[in-house]
Amino acid sequence: MRSRLLAITAGVTLALAMAACGNGSGVEVSDAWARASAGVQNAGAVYMAISAGEADRLVAASVAPEVAAMAQVHETSMNEDGAMMMGQVSAIDVPSEGSVALEPGGFHIMLMELVEPLTDGATFEMELTFENAGAITVEVEVRDE
Amino acid sequence: MQRPFRLLAGLVVLMLVAGACGTDEYLPAGIVRTPPPEVGSVALPDATNGGEFSFRAEPGEVLVVYWGYTSCPDICPTTMADLRRAVADLGNDGQRVEVAVVTVDPDRDTPDVLTAYVRAFFPDGTAVRTEEPAALEAAARPFGASYEVSTNDDGYVEVVHTAFLYAIDDQGLIRLTWQFGIESEDIQLDLESLLKGYDNA
Repeated sequence: MRSRLLAITAGVTLALAMAACGNGSGVEVSDAWARASAGVQNAGAVYMAISAGEADRLVAASVAPEVAAMAQVHETSMNEDGAMMMGQVSAIDVPSEGSVALEPGGFHIMLMELVEPLTDGATFEMELTFENAGAITVEVEVRDE
Repeated sequence: MQRPFRLLAGLVVLMLVAGACGTDEYLPAGIVRTPPPEVGSVALPDATNGGEFSFRAEPGEVLVVYWGYTSCPDICPTTMADLRRAVADLGNDGQRVEVAVVTVDPDRDTPDVLTAYVRAFFPDGTAVRTEEPAALEAAARPFGASYEVSTNDDGYVEVVHTAFLYAIDDQGLIRLTWQFGIESEDIQLDLESLLKGYDNA
């Protein structure tokens, strides 16, 4: 009797532990979207909201070669002369129990050398790499906003 | 019997004062430069319609000009989309607003690419483009627009540029300059005020 109870307890505990770990990420990405291309554009930008339980950092992004040649994490900023510029950043910090928004005028994932224009309503997958959470795949929705 | 009379008198005075103040002057969200820069005599090749494009609105209209490039993934499309929303929200008055985009990256922005880009946002928009760096610089000066196109170590082209929208009247004067990030509602209200300015003149 005791050994069976032990076995059941062990089994339940193991199941609970596995459920609690889930994919072990603690990172949630929502509302991933890209603006539809205007005419024939060779670059695009992907925006999203990222929240995390534990602090984490977005360090890389990639898309299938049928979508674009490359994806890079970028930030738009203004220099001291009032000119706008964009630069690759090595990581985007997601604070513990917090969130960060990739939105127009700020952080975005730049898609370089789009194979085809992004059209309103289309979707494509993007893989995001986080320092702690590892790789997460998200579906990006193309919108004509 | 005295009190109600006094109250009424007070109310009448208040109404007179309020009436005397008149309408509040509209304070635009965009920047007003004094004196307004003169760009009406500046002309660059019209990549959409051929010939030359002069930076001056048709009588009673407003011409909004943007200096950008099509390979711009974030700033330019965001600005164009916000302007589009502002013009759409003007209703019928939207027909009194023209839009032109000058490319700071003529090497990559061919006339077809640039026209397709502008027309994706504004069906009657005009693409303006020159291959002469000196002509582009000379045109940019009165606007106060600056730009730099370079190739980085990885072989990718990088562009740094001022991202203002310029509202030009039918005298060829820049009446308002909108900074990047301005809300489309502010652009709309500013445009309404400019158009009303013609009607009240």
